[in-house]
Amino acid sequence: MLELKNIKLSYGNTQVLNGVDLSVNRGDVVSIIGPSGTGKTTLLKCINYLVKPSSGTIAFDQLHMDYAQADKKAIQAIRLRTAMVFQQFNVFKNMTVLQNVMDPLVVVQRKSQDEAREIALRELDRVGLSAKRDSYPSQLSGGQLQRTGIARALAVRPDVMLFDEPTSSLDPELVSEVLKVIKDVTSSGITSLLVTHEMQFAKNISNRIVFMDQGVVAADGSPAEIFDAPANPRLAQFLQTELAFH
Amino acid sequence: MFEADILLEDIREILSAVPFTLFMALVTFVFSTIIGSLFALAEYRNIPILRELIFVYKVAFKGIPLVIVIFLGYYGLPPTIQFLASLIGINFNGHHTPNWVLLVIGVTACIAAFQAEVIKGALNSFDNGQADAARSLGYTNGQLFRRVMFPQVVIAAIPDLTNSIMVIMKALSLGFAIEVVDIFAQSQLTAALNFYYLEAFVIAVVIYMIIAFLVTTAADRLERSLRVWT
Repeated sequence: MLELKNIKLSYGNTQVLNGVDLSVNRGDVVSIIGPSGTGKTTLLKCINYLVKPSSGTIAFDQLHMDYAQADKKAIQAIRLRTAMVFQQFNVFKNMTVLQNVMDPLVVVQRKSQDEAREIALRELDRVGLSAKRDSYPSQLSGGQLQRTGIARALAVRPDVMLFDEPTSSLDPELVSEVLKVIKDVTSSGITSLLVTHEMQFAKNISNRIVFMDQGVVAADGSPAEIFDAPANPRLAQFLQTELAFH
Repeated sequence: MFEADILLEDIREILSAVPFTLFMALVTFVFSTIIGSLFALAEYRNIPILRELIFVYKVAFKGIPLVIVIFLGYYGLPPTIQFLASLIGINFNGHHTPNWVLLVIGVTACIAAFQAEVIKGALNSFDNGQADAARSLGYTNGQLFRRVMFPQVVIAAIPDLTNSIMVIMKALSLGFAIEVVDIFAQSQLTAALNFYYLEAFVIAVVIYMIIAFLVTTAADRLERSLRVWT
């Protein structure tokens, strides 16, 4: 369904992605783990072109694009089929919770106000935020903000959900409410890529784990292969550190 | 100390200059804000060449005293307007340009350089994560600007834009140098006829203070009513 080949990207003199290959099948829930600064978030943002790789290709079903000759139509087509949940929530501060979820449906998908409202209310109910629909972001907790972000992403009916460290900015007591929603989303069968440091959660919800190190995919396998019998020494070291920390 | 009948007469005369002063201030504010916003957007989007030209403009107009700009406009603009009109076949005597127009152009040119910084500051205060979110959902740059960025940037700019209205009001008083009669100039003229200088300038001070109070209060209310999300 989604295939990235030889993705390279650098910030100034720092090479962040060194030729990443990654393919995702429909219905996959892929967790991307790895040390900080190894390019996990950057890779996710390459998919919807929020960052611009210097080279590499992306194939999204029938759609193919070479990043060296990126074209606007292909980028827009990919963006319309994906939705991202951000580490910093990135909800629109000038809109209520309901408006945040409705706005992309009205502005981008050209749905009527009534239809958009109906979809938005359904998604808000799904993430448990119906009671907060008229609140502004400044009146919400981190967990509620992130659930707004998730509802907004779900409302556009994406083929692929991209979760970028969705719980990293949350207070510990708010993490579980967001993980519960993500678990509900991923178990519904939607293809998902999740960058996370929540190892146990990744193990529980994913059917594949990708370990990134120094800008490349260093290991790729089932949760059992990655967590129970890590073949890669860097992966073993990383898991030891992460599990000791948590 | 003050004579009541003189005060009343002076108040009536000086007040007569208020509508025209406010009109000039409004025109200057609108045009300087539009020009400043275009400059700020060009800088924010990092447009090459334009960015450097705007930098030079800002250095020039922030550095040159306003009164010099007004005189440059007064002496330089009429022949320039006449020359430009002749290029497109219009026979226009540039020296017929009203002085208040030359004043407004001069003040607008200067204030635009400051407005550019106000708008740039407001644009920079915008959290770019929201722009990432909008783009990831398929918003075009125009949609992102209209729906998300503009409403937030405008409100962030209101306090500084209010300041600039009062700066413009005061700057227009330099128009006296080229015979434009605003509140200050009217008080000067009124006093020159009856020699009650203190009365005339105190009246002008009170009028300026009332305008400052009204503008500041209105801007605060506008900001509060628009900033419903904080």
